[in-house]
Amino acid sequence: MIELDAVSAAFALLSSDLSAWLYLLPGLVIGLVFGAMPGISITMAMAFALPATLYMDFLPAIIFLTAIYTGAGFGGSVPAVLMNIPGTSSAVATTFDGYPMARAGRHNEALGVALASSVLGCLGSYLMLFLLIGPVSGLVLKLGPLEMFAVAIWGMLLLGSLAGTYLARGLLAGAFGVLLGTVGFNSAGFIRGTMGIPWLLDGVPQIPAMMGLLAASQLIGLVNTTYLITDESARKISFGKTLSGIRLTFRFPWVIMRGSIIGVLIGAIPGVGSSISNLLSYSETRRNSDDPDSFGKGNPAGVIAAEAANSSSEGGAMGTMLALGIPGGGATAILLAAFAMHNIVGGPSFIANNKDIVYALIFSNFAQAVLLLFVGLGFVYVASYIVRVPLHYLIPSVLVVSNFGAYAIEGSAAGPITLWVFAILGWAMLRYGYPVAAAVVGLLLGGLLESNLLRTYQISGGDYVDYAVQRPGALIIFALMLGSIALQAVSKRRRASKLSAGKPE
Amino acid sequence: MTSRLSRRHMLQLASAGVAAAAMTTPSLLRAQDSFPNRPINVVVPFDTGGYNDRLARAFAPFLQEELGQPLTIINRGGAGALLGHMFFMQQPADGYTILCTSAAPYLPLNILTQDATFSYDDFYMVNLPSQDYTLLATSADSDLQTIDDVIARLKEDPGSLSIGIQAASADLVNLSILADANDIDFDALRMVTYDGGGPARNAVAGGVVDIGLVGGEGFLPLREQIRPLLTFDRRQRDDWEGAIVTDVMGEDARVVVGSQRGWGLHATLQENNPEAFRILSEAIEAASKNPEAIAALEAQQLATEWYGPEESNKMLAETAEVMEQYLHLLQGQ
Repeated sequence: MIELDAVSAAFALLSSDLSAWLYLLPGLVIGLVFGAMPGISITMAMAFALPATLYMDFLPAIIFLTAIYTGAGFGGSVPAVLMNIPGTSSAVATTFDGYPMARAGRHNEALGVALASSVLGCLGSYLMLFLLIGPVSGLVLKLGPLEMFAVAIWGMLLLGSLAGTYLARGLLAGAFGVLLGTVGFNSAGFIRGTMGIPWLLDGVPQIPAMMGLLAASQLIGLVNTTYLITDESARKISFGKTLSGIRLTFRFPWVIMRGSIIGVLIGAIPGVGSSISNLLSYSETRRNSDDPDSFGKGNPAGVIAAEAANSSSEGGAMGTMLALGIPGGGATAILLAAFAMHNIVGGPSFIANNKDIVYALIFSNFAQAVLLLFVGLGFVYVASYIVRVPLHYLIPSVLVVSNFGAYAIEGSAAGPITLWVFAILGWAMLRYGYPVAAAVVGLLLGGLLESNLLRTYQISGGDYVDYAVQRPGALIIFALMLGSIALQAVSKRRRASKLSAGKPE
Repeated sequence: MTSRLSRRHMLQLASAGVAAAAMTTPSLLRAQDSFPNRPINVVVPFDTGGYNDRLARAFAPFLQEELGQPLTIINRGGAGALLGHMFFMQQPADGYTILCTSAAPYLPLNILTQDATFSYDDFYMVNLPSQDYTLLATSADSDLQTIDDVIARLKEDPGSLSIGIQAASADLVNLSILADANDIDFDALRMVTYDGGGPARNAVAGGVVDIGLVGGEGFLPLREQIRPLLTFDRRQRDDWEGAIVTDVMGEDARVVVGSQRGWGLHATLQENNPEAFRILSEAIEAASKNPEAIAALEAQQLATEWYGPEESNKMLAETAEVMEQYLHLLQGQ
C-alpha cells in the first residue's frame, strides 16, 4: 500500500526545496490567530491567504494552506476553553469540559490538554491517511442517506449526556435545536419557518447562533462576578501547569485513539466533518467512562475526546479531497481552488500520477503537527492572560469581538442580530434550567438528520426495511451504536452491584 | 506700500502657480476624471470555491489589466443567490460594482419563486461564457449501459430507478421533458433530492442513486467514476460519451440550458454613465479574447467563450421563458 519509491521521492522533494518549510511557521500562526477569533472560520482564514499562494510554487502553496488549516483547527479551542466560545463549530464539545476546567482555575492544564490532543489527533489522522488513503476513500462515496442518518442519530445520543438534572428539559431543548436546524429551504425545495426573512432561507446562521447560545448567555450571567476565576490564587499563568496538561493527555491513550478514528472517519465524509466528529467522540468517551457524571464539570478526558476528534478530521477530509477530488467542506474546497490556480486537477488521477507530492504533503503535515506543539505552547501562554482581565473589561470586549465575528461570517447585520436573539434565548434557557448545549447539538445535527431521513424515504420509496437490508453499512453503524449503549448499561450495572456488594461489610 | 506690492506679487505668484500646476499635472487630473479611478468590486453571489467564485478569481487578473484598477472579489452567498443579487442591486450603479453570477437559473428562480425585489430589466449581461448543460449519468460500475436501458426500465416501472436531482433546477425540467417524450409517468418517478450539485454528483459516482441528472461541467473531476448516458444539448459537450438529446427525442427536441454564468452590470449604468458602461463592456470583451486568459481559464476547466451582450441577454431571456413555462416544477413539490 505504501510505495517506497514515492516515499523517497517525497523526501527528496521536501529536502531540495527550502521554501516548502519556510511557510510552515507563518501558516500556523495565521491559522492560530484567525481560528482563535470568534466567528472567523477555518475556511475564512484560508480564503484570506489564498491569493498570496498564487505567487508560490504548488507544493509550498499547499503546505502553507494546510499549515493554516492545522493552526486554525487548534486555534478554535482556545476561546472555547477560556470563554466558552467555540472559535469554530468544531470546538463545541471542547467547551463542555474545557470551560468548567478554566472556571475552576485549571485553565493552563486545560489548554495544555487541548494542545497535546490536537497535535496527537493531527499526527494520528495523517498516519492513517498515509496507510489507508486508497481503501477508505473508495468507501466514502458509497455512503448513502441511511448511513448518514445513522451517524446523525449517533450524535443525537449526546443529548442524554447533556441533559443535566432534568432529562425531559434536555430532550425538549434538543428537539427545539433540531427544529431550529431545519429552518429554511429543505432539499426538496420547501421553505419552512423563515417568517419571510430572506436571510433565513439558508437556515439559522449556525456560528452566530452558537456564539449567542453558549457564550453571550454565559457572559450575561457573569455580570456580577469580578473575574473568570473566582479564586485569586488560582489565576496564575503557569507554563509548568500547561506542560503537566500535556503530560496528562498521555494518560488517556484510548480516548485519543477513539477520537482520532472517529475524527478521520467522520471527517472523510463530505459535508459532515469536524463539527460532528467532536460531538460523537465526546459522547462515546463519556458513555464509556467509569465516571460519566464527572463530564461537563471539568473532566480533561472530555477535552481530549473533542480535540483529538476535531483535529483528526483534517486528515480525513484531506484523504477524500486527494483521493476523489471532492471537497468535504469549506477548507478543502479552498485547497482544491488552490490546486486549480496551479492548473492541477484533484481526483483519482492526481494521486496515481503524483504519489510523491501526496506523500510530501503528508510528511509536511507530520512536521506541522510537531511544530504546532511549540507554537501552540507560546500561543496559549499569551492567550491565558485573559483570566487576569477583570470581567468588566473582558465581557464588553468579548461581546464586541463576537459581534464583529458574527458580522464577518454572515457579511450582513443578520449575523449580529442572530447573535443577540440567541444570547437572550440562551440566557433565558439557563435561567429556567434548560441545557443550552443540547439546543446547540440539535441545531448542528438538525439539518443532517432531516435531509437524510427525507432522502432515505425518497430512495426507499417508503419501504424502509427493504432498503435497510440492502445497506449493510448502515446496519453496522446501528449495531455498533446499540452495542455501545448495551456495554454502558452492563458496566453501569456491574459498578452498581460492586458498590452494593461493598456496602454491607 | 511694500505690503500692497507684495500682495499683488503674491496674487500673481499664486495664479501662476495654479496655471503651472494645471499644466504640469494633466495626467493626474485626467485620472480623476476618467473611469475607473479606484478599485472595482466584483460581487459573487455564492460562497468561495464554487464555479462562479473560481471564474471570477481566475478572470480577475486579466480584467484588471484591461481596466488598470485592482478588482476585489466579494462573496455574498446564500438563498440561491438571492442575497447576493439583492446586495448587488443595493450598490450604486456607478460601475464600481460588477457581478459574476449564474444568471440562469438563479435570476429567473429569484424572480419567479422567491418574490425578488428586482426584475430581469435591472441586469445587463455583458457576456455569459459558461453555458452548462444537464448530464444524465450513472456510476461507472452500474449495469445501466445506455440511455435506452434507462428509458426501457422507467417505461416498464417509473419507480424502478432512484434518480438523484436538485429541486427547482433546470435538470428537473429536462427530466420532465424526457419523461413526457417517452410516455413515462413523471409523477411516479422515484426522485431523491439533493441540496447542491456536488452532493448529487457524489451520490451518482458512489452508486447511492441509480442515475442522476446534474450540471455536466461539475462532473469533469469525477470522469473516471461515472458513466455518461445522455447530454441534454444538441451537440456533444466536454467529450462525454453517450447520447445527446437529438438521438433520443429527434431533431425538434427541446432542452433547458443549465447554468448560464458570466459577467453582468447594472442595467441603469447604460444611461447614467455611458462612459463607464462602455469601458467595462470593452474591458470584459478584451480580457475574454486575450489568448493568455483563454489558456489560463481552460486549464482550470472554466469557460471563456465570447458571446457578447446581445447574444447573452437573448439566451438568458429564452431560458427565463422556458422556466416560466415549467414554473409548477420549480416551486416546492
